This record gives sequence, structure tokens and C-alpha cells, in this order.
Amino acid sequence: MQKGLKLGILTCALLGFAGLLIFSGSVTGAAKQTLTSVYSKAAPTGLDDPAWGKIKALEVPFDGKEIFAGKKASVATKAVFTDSEIYFWFNWKDATLSVTKEAWKYDGQNWARQKGDEDRISLLFEINRINNYATKGCAVVCHVPAGAPNAKEGKFGTATDAEKGDLWHWKAARSDPAGYADDGYLAKISDTKGGRKGDAGKGGDKQNITDDKTKPKYMLAPGKKLGKNNILLAADAVEITDYSVFKAGDVITYRMPVAAEGSFGDIKAVSRYADGAWTVMLSRKLNTGNDDDVAFDPRKKYNFTMALFDDSKDYDSYDSEALTLEFKK
Amino acid sequence: MSEAEVHTSEERQTAAAGRECCAQLLRLQVPADAICWHRFFGALQLALIGLLFLTGVLMALAYTPVPGTAYDSVDYFQFSLPFGDVVRGVHHYAWNLLLVVMGLHLLRALVLGAYKSPRQPVWISGVLFLLVMPLFIITGDLLPWDQKGYWSTQVRFSIIASIPVAGDFLLQLFRGGPLTGIVALTRLYVLHILLLPGALVLLIGLHMYFLGTRGLSGPLSGNAAHGPKVPFLPDIVNRWLAVFLLSAIGLGLVAWQWPAALGDPADPTDSAFIPRPEWWVLSLNQLVAIFRGPFMVLGSAIIPGGLVFLLGALPFLDRSPERRPSKRLGVMLAAAVVLAALAVLSVMGYVEHFVRPEH
Repeated sequence: MQKGLKLGILTCALLGFAGLLIFSGSVTGAAKQTLTSVYSKAAPTGLDDPAWGKIKALEVPFDGKEIFAGKKASVATKAVFTDSEIYFWFNWKDATLSVTKEAWKYDGQNWARQKGDEDRISLLFEINRINNYATKGCAVVCHVPAGAPNAKEGKFGTATDAEKGDLWHWKAARSDPAGYADDGYLAKISDTKGGRKGDAGKGGDKQNITDDKTKPKYMLAPGKKLGKNNILLAADAVEITDYSVFKAGDVITYRMPVAAEGSFGDIKAVSRYADGAWTVMLSRKLNTGNDDDVAFDPRKKYNFTMALFDDSKDYDSYDSEALTLEFKK
Repeated sequence: MSEAEVHTSEERQTAAAGRECCAQLLRLQVPADAICWHRFFGALQLALIGLLFLTGVLMALAYTPVPGTAYDSVDYFQFSLPFGDVVRGVHHYAWNLLLVVMGLHLLRALVLGAYKSPRQPVWISGVLFLLVMPLFIITGDLLPWDQKGYWSTQVRFSIIASIPVAGDFLLQLFRGGPLTGIVALTRLYVLHILLLPGALVLLIGLHMYFLGTRGLSGPLSGNAAHGPKVPFLPDIVNRWLAVFLLSAIGLGLVAWQWPAALGDPADPTDSAFIPRPEWWVLSLNQLVAIFRGPFMVLGSAIIPGGLVFLLGALPFLDRSPERRPSKRLGVMLAAAVVLAALAVLSVMGYVEHFVRPEH
């Protein structure tokens, strides 16, 4: 019995040790950057919430495309999730605050739209699996050249109906002043139509231009204040009845952010431009219940890519490789 | 005799045979320590195989053996179906634990000289498991159609192809064409869920039969035949059910807490992906890595195959009736050398793939 007891203890110890070896970690594949969303009971209240300070940022490298070809960029990225929401925190260097987006400028006689675009950051998740997106990233999402018939509506899309992406698009001039990022989705691109669509609901921006396209149609309504970075929000605009009130050098927003409603406004945004860098926080429900949104399940991993736009149009961007988003409680 | 009377007579005979079989089972007496707290590896293996079968059947209900869609079906099973993650996790962990327990079972039999007369067939039928189990790995890893499974399979296919004479034939048999696509997936799926489980059941039957006719390995001294006996039904069956339930609950809890990983979907064009070998294949992987080029076959087939052959031939190489390990120093030393070599190779493999993955 003594001998049996020793043998039993030895075998149990061996089993336990083997179990520890087996269960001590999962085996993964080759290197791919993983952003770990860390659980927090309380939602981060803003860009400087202590929750962000506790997390080490993932430095995501970006490669420039088109006019930025050969250039590099980098975005410090963090993520936190609560029982119902997910929060992303981004910080990247940008020497110039770009929110012009062709704003009107008055020279004392005529109105003209200024040159200049806006800073943006976008994220693309899979709603339904996009073939090889996990490894190739944005490269497998069909982009069409400017001027193509199907470039009018969205410029890019997926190859089949079964593939669908969730596009988060933060725009410094057109969405951020209204406190959100555009929530869109990516569907199949056809020969005549692009695959980039806006989620159900209202949002985006309203063009501030007269029918003869020579001057702005709206100005700030009395008693209202301009939004962040002196952007005129559509909700605070009133039609101009007397253009003589303007003096040379006056600037009026051309693309006025519209308050988002419905699924289009799922992604809330907070931002700050300071010391030559943007800091942006985006948040959304883990599961909005909308077909046009990715539903985050903290047990799963998600593939996503990011793109950065520095005062540039859609084709001129810095793109990241495919990344993995995981959740850790 | 009319046709109806023939039928009735046959039915009576069948019923009588069934009753006799049940009666035999009820009368069956087995050693009291057939399953006990210090002899449970065999019972645990059977429980784990049972769990693998059960969870495998449940997963097969949702699985689609088509590249791409296979991944989606596994993803759906794991994350959308109730308890899908637990079922897949139990399958994953039961397999890992089975390999550990099989190794310990084999080691115990080796150390205690359980392969000696009259139990040689029990030992040989046990060693035969070593030939079947790797096939489960080769066929099962590809099924989720994820990056790791796909590229691990590619590595294994290249190893299989290096086997002299039979390599190309075996590769063609598994892959069914020049590329790892739908034909390969279908073939491996059929092998994994139909042919290999069938072979495993036959092997288990054979092993149990020899166990029944040749007996359990008794104590190192004394006569086991005079030891206490208990009825197979219900005592031994109940003990096995307890092992099964404990394993199911334990693995279920582990799977619930740490679900089995599901990597990125397979991308056959992404040759930059380097799969990291699982712990149980680290030594073999390293062996293959040591013998490169024309000598690859040494690491991929000759050395592992030779070891399995020597293991099977052990009862004929060590014929003395002596079972005490202290009196079988030659066998013990050889076993220790092999184990040490496997451990060193595994550590080397771990360092290469996990500590310095850039290499």
C-alpha cells in the first residue's frame, strides 16, 4: 500500500506538471501586431482618463501611399472595454492641424474656397469574413482608380456579397466637431457602384454653398457658438440674408458637420490637437445590434486595419498592416 | 417450418445470445485494482477518447469541409452556438491530455516491465497506437482551415514527401492533388472522423481483448492471480464512469476558462507565415531540422520509425522474466537516453520557435 501510495502521488504530480505545461499558454503563429483591449469596470471619461495611463500603447507602423509614398508614420494605439462598450485611444504626430476642408474665405469682394483638406483616421473591421483580409489587410479590399465609373460611390469595396466590413472614419473637420466618427460599412463593389456605404440613420456633413455655387449659403445663427476648431455645425447655421456683414478675411465652413442619428452615429469621438499631435478617443457599444456594424464578442479576436490621412484626399494615405484586436479580462 | 416460425426462432436465439452476453458481463470478475487511484491511465485514456468522440461528433454537426467556409463554420460553432467554445475546448484539451497520459501509460508499462510474457500482445497492441495517433494530428490540424493548421499541414506534407519510396504516394494519398485544397480537406476530414476513429476502436478492442486474455500486469513480486476480485458490472464500470465524468467536468471548466485558440483564416498565398509547432511535436520537428537535405529522411522517418519498431520489439529483445527495474538496467538506461534525447530536442525546438522566433 505504501508503494502504491507513492506511485499514485508521483503519477498525479506528473499529470499536474504536464497539465501546467499544456495549459500555460496557447501556441500562436507568426508575428502580427495584436492590440489587446483591456477590461475596465468603469468607462474612460476622456483622453486623460487614468485608465489610459495604465496601458502600454501599441506602436502601429504605417506606410505612405500615393503622395506619401516612401514616407512612414506611426500611431500609438490603446483599447479598453467595459461590459457594454469598447474604447480606442490613438495618438499620432502631425505637424499641422488641418481642418480647412475647402472652407470659404472672403477677400472683401468675392468668396473662394481655400485649398486644404483635413486630418483623418479610419479603421476597418470585418463584419463578415473578407477573404485573406486577416493576412493582406486593406490590399484585398478592391480600390478603384480615381475617375473610374465605380469611384463615385465610395471608391472601394469587397469582392463578393458575402464579405462585409465595418468602416469607422474619424474626420477632424466633418465629424469630430459634432462629437462622432462616421460609421459606414463596406459591401461588394460593382462595375458601376463603389462598395462604401454609410450606416442607416443620419449624419455626415452638409455642403454650405448657394445654388449658383459662388458663395456660402449659411452662417452662424445668432446666439450660437462655433464648434471645435471654429467649425460651423449644420445645427447652428442660419441662411445668410445680408452678405454685407462680412469683411475681408472672414472664413466660413464649407462642409458643415450634421448631428449623427441612428446607426450612423454609433461611434462617439473625443479629440485634442496639441503639441503637434492628435489624440483621439473613439467609443462604441460592443454590440450595437445593427447589421451594418461588427459585433464585438470579447471571446473572439478581430482583424482590422487603419489608415491615416494627413490633410489629404482618400487616395493619399498612410496604411497599416492587418492587426489583431483581442480582449483581455 | 413457415417463414414466420423461422423469424420467431431467430429472434429467440438472438434474445438468448443477448441475455447470455449480459449474464456473462454480470458474472465477469476482474482484479479489484483494474481501475484504482494508482492505476487509472488506461481508464483515463478511454475516457478522453470517449470525450474526443463525443465532442468530435458535436462539432461535425456544424462543420463544413470546404476551404474558407470550414473556418467560418468553426468560428460559428465556437462563438455563436451555445457552449460551442466549451465543446471545442474539451476536444482540444482532451487531445493534449490524451498524449500526456498515453506517454505516462507507456512509460509506466516500460518501467514496470508490463511487456513481459505473457503480456507481449498487450504491449504490441499498445505500441500500435503510436502509429495511429500521429495520423489524427495530421488530419485534424487542417480542419479549422486557419493559418496555423494550414501551414503546419504544409510542413508535415513536405516531411511525408521526404520519406523514400512511399513519400510521393503517401502525399498524393493525403493531398489528392498538387495543392492543399478542397480535395485534401475532404480526404483528411473523412480520415479524421471516419477511418481513423474506426481504426482506433479496433485497436482499443484488440488491446482490451489481450488485456482480458493475458491479464493486467501484477505487482513486481507475488502472484496477482490471487489478488481480490470485483464484479466488472457495476464496480469497474462505475469507476470508469467516475473517471469520465471527472475528466469531462475538469476539461469543461478549463475550456470554459481558456477557450481553444482559433487563429486567422488560412491564406495559402501567405508563405511568410511560419507555424510554431505544438509541444508534442517539438522534438520530432527538431529532429527533422537537424537532418537537412538528403538526410532529412533520417529525422522524418528512419529514427522515429526505428524507435517505434524497437519499442514494439521490446518483449522479444528483453525476454528475461525479471520485472524489477533495478534488475533491468540496460532497458532502463536505453529508455532514459531516449527520454533525455526527446527532452533536449524539445527544449531546442522550444528555444528556436518560441524564445528566438526570428530564427
